[in-house]
Amino acid sequence: MKNGALIVFKKELARFFGDRRLLITSVIMPGLLIYLIYSFIGSSMNTLVEDSTASYKAAAVNMPAVIAAQLEQMNFEIETITPDQTEQYKEKVRSKDISLCVVFPDDFESVMANYNSKTPSSDVPNVSVFYNSSDINSSNAYPLMITTLDSVEKELSNVFDVNALTDDISYDVATEEDTTGTLMAMILPVVIMTLLYSSCVALAPESIAGEKERGTIASLLITPVPRSQIILGKVCALSVMSLLGGMSSFLGTFLSIPKLMQGMDGESGSIKTDVYGAKEYICLIVLILSTVLLLITVISIISTLAKSVKEAGTMVMPLMMVVMLVSFLTMYQTEVKTEFFWYCIPLYNTVECMKNVFSFSIVSQNIAVTCAANILYSGAGIFVLTKLFNNERVMFG
Amino acid sequence: MKEILKVDSVTKTFRLTSKQQRQRKLDQKVLTAVDNLSFTAYEGEIFGLLGPNGAGKTTTLRMLSTLIKPDSGDALINGLSIVKQPAEVRRNIGFLTSDVKLEDFFTPDYLFDFFSDMHSVPDDVRKERKETLFKRFGIDKFSQVKVADLSTGMKQKTSLVVSLAHDPDIIIFDEPTNGLDVITAKVVTDFLGELRQSGKTVIISTHIFSLIEKVCDRVGIIIDGKMIKCSSLDEITAEKSLEDVFFELYRERKGDEI
Repeated sequence: MKNGALIVFKKELARFFGDRRLLITSVIMPGLLIYLIYSFIGSSMNTLVEDSTASYKAAAVNMPAVIAAQLEQMNFEIETITPDQTEQYKEKVRSKDISLCVVFPDDFESVMANYNSKTPSSDVPNVSVFYNSSDINSSNAYPLMITTLDSVEKELSNVFDVNALTDDISYDVATEEDTTGTLMAMILPVVIMTLLYSSCVALAPESIAGEKERGTIASLLITPVPRSQIILGKVCALSVMSLLGGMSSFLGTFLSIPKLMQGMDGESGSIKTDVYGAKEYICLIVLILSTVLLLITVISIISTLAKSVKEAGTMVMPLMMVVMLVSFLTMYQTEVKTEFFWYCIPLYNTVECMKNVFSFSIVSQNIAVTCAANILYSGAGIFVLTKLFNNERVMFG
Repeated sequence: MKEILKVDSVTKTFRLTSKQQRQRKLDQKVLTAVDNLSFTAYEGEIFGLLGPNGAGKTTTLRMLSTLIKPDSGDALINGLSIVKQPAEVRRNIGFLTSDVKLEDFFTPDYLFDFFSDMHSVPDDVRKERKETLFKRFGIDKFSQVKVADLSTGMKQKTSLVVSLAHDPDIIIFDEPTNGLDVITAKVVTDFLGELRQSGKTVIISTHIFSLIEKVCDRVGIIIDGKMIKCSSLDEITAEKSLEDVFFELYRERKGDEI
C-alpha cells in the first residue's frame, strides 16, 4: 500500500513542475531579477563615482594661485571673477550653468602669510563656497573643493597627522573575511527572511485556500487517506517549492551583493562572497530548510482558515510584519546571544543564527536548538492543521 | 434483498452567522438541515432522494460520504458506521457532486491514476479499469488533455469516472445530470442503469421528476429536512404521477406557498 502523504506530495510537485509559468515566476524569475536589479544598481552607482572625475566649472573671487593650481589638477576649470559679480555667478550655480562659486576675502593671501598660532580665531578669514545640492555635478564638486581648502589650511598650521603614512601600512586591521562577514551579517538575514516569506506566501495560499475556493479539496477529503497524511504531503511539497524559490532569491542576492557594494564604496575586491566555506553553507541550508517548514506550516494554517486565496493574502499580512520586525530589530544588534531560550523563539532564532553564520561565529548547539525548535513548532502546526481539516465548519463553512 | 445502506435517525444542524440570518430572513441561530431522517437502500437498486432546493438532500449525501458528521443518529454503509469508521466507509463509496471538483491542471489520465493510488488500487487492476471506463465514456481520446481544456460534459464524465476508480459498492450522486447537455445526461442516466445491473447500489439526489421516474427503484421525498414519504416508485406512482404526489405532499406541509 502506497503512503498517502507521498502520493499527495508527488501530485503537488507534479502540479508545480508541470506548470512552466509557475516554475519560471516562482523559482527562476526571483533570483534572476534580484541579481539583475542589484547588479544594475551597483553599476549605476559605479558610473556615478566615475562621473565624479569629470571636469567642473567654478567661479572664484580672489582665489590664491596656489589653490587654483591644485584645483586645476583635479579637473576644475576656474574662472576668475570680481566681487561685484558674485550674485550673478551664484545665480549661475542655481541654474546649474556652473558647479561652484567660491569667494575669498580681499586680504586673504596677506592674512594667511601673517598667520601664526596666536592669531585669535575671530580674526580668521572666512571662505564662502556656494553650491547647488539639487545638481549632481555641484554636489560632487562641493566636497572636493572643501577637501582641497581643508588641506591648504592644514598645511598652514600642521601640528600632527593621522594615518598619513601610506607606504606598506594598512591601518584597518580587519581581514577580507571580517569586512565581508560584518556586512553580510547585517544585510543578508533580513534579505533572506523576507525572500523566504515571499516565496512561501506565493505558494501556500494557492495550494490550500485555492483548493478550498475551487472545491478540489473535497475530492481529496473523500478518499480513505487520513487527513494528517494529506496535510503532511502538502506541507512537505510546499516546503520544497518554497525552498527552491527562496534559494534562487538567495543566490541572486548573494552573487550580486559584491557588485552592489562595489558600486557603493567604489572599490573592487573589499567584499567577496567566496570567503564562506562548506560549513557555513551547510548551516545556512539547514537553517533555511527548518524555517521554510515553519513558515509554510503557519501560512498553511492561515490559508486553511481563509475562504479564498484573496482572504488568505489579507490574513497573512500580520505575519509579514512579524518577519520584517524580527529581522530589522536584529540588524544592528552586535551582541551574540548565548542563552538557550533565545534560540527557542521562532523566526528570531533563525535570524540570530544566520548572523552568526555570516560573521563566522557559528555555535553548533544554537543551530541545533533552532532547527529542533522550528521542527517542533512545525509538528505542532501540522497537528493544528489536521484538527482544522477535520473541522467541517472550517473546511465547508 | 441485502441491506447496503441504513440511515438511522440522522439529524444535522448548522449554526448561522448574523449575516446568514439576515440573508435567509431567519430569527433562529440554528438551522436544522436534516431532521431525524431514516431510510434504507438495498443491493442493486437506485434510490432517489427527491426534494426542492434547501430540503436537505445535499446535506444528507455529504453526511453519507463522510464529508460532514451528523449531530445525532448514524448510517451504516456495508455495515460500517459513517460516524465511527469514516475512513473505511470512504473505501466503499464513490461520491460525485458539483461541490467536488477536479483540478483543472491535470489530465483525466493523471487524475484517474492519482485517485486510484489514494484508494490503494493495484496497478494492473487500475490499468484495466481505466481502459474500460475511459472507452465507455469516450474519454480515451481526451485522456491526455488537461481538464481545463475539456468541455463541461467531458469534465462531468471525467469526474464520474474518477469517482469510480476504486470500484465502490455504493455510488452517491448529487444532482447527476445538473448542467449537462442532453447527450451527456443520457450517457450518465444509461450508466446508472448499468451500475444497477452490475449489482451496485446508487443513491441520487435530484429535483427532476423525469430522472427519478426513469432510473429509480425507490424514492424518498424530503421536505424541510424531513422524510415525508419513502417507498418504491411503483407504489408512489400507483394512482398519481410522481409530480402530483410530490406537490400534494408539499402543499400539505407548506400550504399554498409555491
